[in-house]
Amino acid sequence: MEFPKLTYERLQVGEEFVSDTFLVTPEEIETYAFAVDDDHPWFREDSPFGGPVAHPTLLGNQALRLRHSRYTVPGGLHAKMEFEFLEPIRPGMRARSRGRVIDKYERRGKPYMVTEFTTEDETGTVLVRGRFTQMLFRD
Amino acid sequence: MATTTTDAVSIGQELPPLVKEIPQRKIDAYSGVRPNSIHSDEAWAKKKGFRAPLAQAMMSTAYVSELMTRFVGAGFVKGGTMSMAFIKPVLAADRLTVHGVVKHKQPENGRTRIVVEVWCENQHGDKTAVGTASGLID
Repeated sequence: MEFPKLTYERLQVGEEFVSDTFLVTPEEIETYAFAVDDDHPWFREDSPFGGPVAHPTLLGNQALRLRHSRYTVPGGLHAKMEFEFLEPIRPGMRARSRGRVIDKYERRGKPYMVTEFTTEDETGTVLVRGRFTQMLFRD
Repeated sequence: MATTTTDAVSIGQELPPLVKEIPQRKIDAYSGVRPNSIHSDEAWAKKKGFRAPLAQAMMSTAYVSELMTRFVGAGFVKGGTMSMAFIKPVLAADRLTVHGVVKHKQPENGRTRIVVEVWCENQHGDKTAVGTASGLID
């Protein structure tokens, strides 16, 4: 499989991406908590949802990296992020994100792409949905 | 973990701020270490015009998530929303303070949605991210 370099010109509005599945493990939850310095007891003990839950933004990077499933990405900056947290993320879930490019535009000479996404568990229940805007680096 | 109730929330109320130190080690734990990455490759970050590696913008959404979860509780984990714009890079070794002020309270399916204006500010007093977040309380 080829992974062409992502360019503004190559990117198509309407393009769809699907991630691999990601197993939410206690270790992943713990690593995330360490990275963002958030030691909330719900991450390892009981929560109001029955059992531990993960940080609501745990799977954000799965969505953000959707374009890497098809392209080599020369990098860029994250400009905007919208989330709706619909269901708690629990250890043992196998999560997958799906995204669709809904817009691309240039502003002040810099190219941007806008992606809508959903992240769901193995039963198809949507856990998180949202939209993000990324600025693409030109070489 | 105490949960906020509708009567205890007032418009203009400030949420207890969070302070986050962001060493490179935390960025590496968040983003993974990769070559040619502005997050974990200092030479690459400099080549792209930054004086140090950048924290991933998503880290700021996690900080806002913590702020909101500590304020509204379970109604952010299930039913929460967030909309953020990242307006200034956050660099390794920066210190962010995460703020929130209650802007609205609106009824929603028998509960109350609390809408909070949120922002992150670095150690120089510059805003790095701005937006809104909301959660449901009883």
